[in-house]
Amino acid sequence: MGQNLKYSALLLVLVIAQKTLVWLLAVTGYEVTPDIVLVGLAYVGIKRGKITGSIAGFLSGLLLDLFSFSFIGLMALSKSAGGFLSGFFNNENKMERYLSSYGFVLIVFFCSMVNNVIYFTIYFQGTSLVFSDVLLRYVLPTAVYTSIISIIPVIFARKKLRRL
Amino acid sequence: MKILLSYLGNLKEYIIFSVLVAASLILIFQNDNLQIRFIRAIAVNVIGVVQSGFSIIPNVFGLERENKYLRETNINLSKELSQLKESRLENLRLKQMLEFKQIVNYKIVTGKIIGKTLIQTRNNITLNIGERDSVRIGMPVITERGLVGKIVAASGNFSIAQILFNKELKVSAKDQRSRVDGIISWDGEGKLMMKNVSKSSDVMVGDVIITSEYSNYFPAGLPVGYVASVGTVDNLFKEIEVECFVNFEILEEVFVLKFLSDEERRNLEKTFNEKSK
Repeated sequence: MGQNLKYSALLLVLVIAQKTLVWLLAVTGYEVTPDIVLVGLAYVGIKRGKITGSIAGFLSGLLLDLFSFSFIGLMALSKSAGGFLSGFFNNENKMERYLSSYGFVLIVFFCSMVNNVIYFTIYFQGTSLVFSDVLLRYVLPTAVYTSIISIIPVIFARKKLRRL
Repeated sequence: MKILLSYLGNLKEYIIFSVLVAASLILIFQNDNLQIRFIRAIAVNVIGVVQSGFSIIPNVFGLERENKYLRETNINLSKELSQLKESRLENLRLKQMLEFKQIVNYKIVTGKIIGKTLIQTRNNITLNIGERDSVRIGMPVITERGLVGKIVAASGNFSIAQILFNKELKVSAKDQRSRVDGIISWDGEGKLMMKNVSKSSDVMVGDVIITSEYSNYFPAGLPVGYVASVGTVDNLFKEIEVECFVNFEILEEVFVLKFLSDEERRNLEKTFNEKSK
C-alpha cells in the first residue's frame, strides 16, 4: 500500500511537471517535448508489473487529459498501453539491472513509441497529415527525446548503486 | 468452475488492461470533435467488417426463425396475390358489364350465377335474383357478349334460366349480314345449330347470328354467335353450326333484361295456331 502511495505521488508530481515545466525543455520549431510521465510509468511498470503499470497509466493519462482541456480519454488510453507494456519487464531477478542500465532507456523508447503511435495517430485523425508524417514529425522525435530524458534517472540509479 | 476461475486468474492482467482500454474508449467517444468523428467512422467500419465476416457463419436458430417468418410471409403474400388477381378479374368483368349496361336500351337487373348445370340436355343456371328484383318468367338473360337464355322459373329471391344449350330452348334468329332467318337450337351435343335455313340461302362461315324480331321472348338484335360451319342436311336445308359468343363454362354474372313480349301478340298467335290445327 505504502509502495503504491509512493508511486502515485511520484506520478502526480510528474503529471504536474509535465503540464507546467516541460515547455522549458521543448525543442522550439519542432514542437517536441519529452514525456516525463511515461518515464515514471516505465519505472512503475518495471517495479510493479502489468496491472499496476496499466492502472497507473490510465489514471495519470486521465489526469493529463483533464489538464490538457482537450478530449478526455486519449492520453488515458495511450498511457494505459505504455504502462502495461512496461509491466512485461517486471522480473524479480532483472529488475535492478533494467533500472540501472541503459536497457531502461530502450524500454522507455519502446513504451514511448507505442504510447506515441496510439496518441498521435488518433490525435491527428481528420487532418491532412498521413501516418508517415505523424511518425517522422511527432512519434519518433518524442520517443527519442523521452528516451534521452530517461538517461537522467539511469545516471542517478547507477550512482546510487555505486554508493551501495 | 475452479479451472475457469484459475484460467481467468491467469488472464487478470489482460482483463484489467482490456477494461481500462474500454473505459478510455468510452471516454473518448463521449467527446464530439473532428478526431472522434473520424475514429467513430473507423470503428463503425471495423465493426461492419467484423460483423459481415461473422455473418457467413450460419446461425441455425436464426435460420429456423427466418425460415418460419419467410414461410408465413410467403403464405400471406400468396393469399394477397390471389385476392388481388380475383379483384382484378372481377373489376374487368364489372367494367365490361357497366359499359354494356350503358349501351343497352332496356332496364336490366344484374345477377350472380349461384348454380350451374352444364352436363345435361336441360342445362340451366340459377341466379341470386328473383321476383323481388322484378325478375319474371320469360325475361331474356344476357351478358355483354350476347344471349344466354331465358328465365323459366322465379321465386322471391332466386330464379332459374334455361340457357342456349338446353334442348327445350328455341330462338328465332337471323344472319346479321344476309338477314336470312332460322331457328337456333341445341341437339344435346356439340355446337348450336341454326335450322330451317334453305339450301339456297346466303349464309357464310363467320357471319354473326342475332335474335330476330320474330321471337316471342327476345328483343331483336341480341348477338347469339357466329357461323362456324355450313353444310347440307338434304336437298332442302342447310346444316349450319353456330359458335356461341358466351362461354358458359366461365360465366359468373349475367343481366336479366326487363323485357316481356307483348301479351296481346302472344295470345293472338296462340289462338291462331290452335284454330289452324
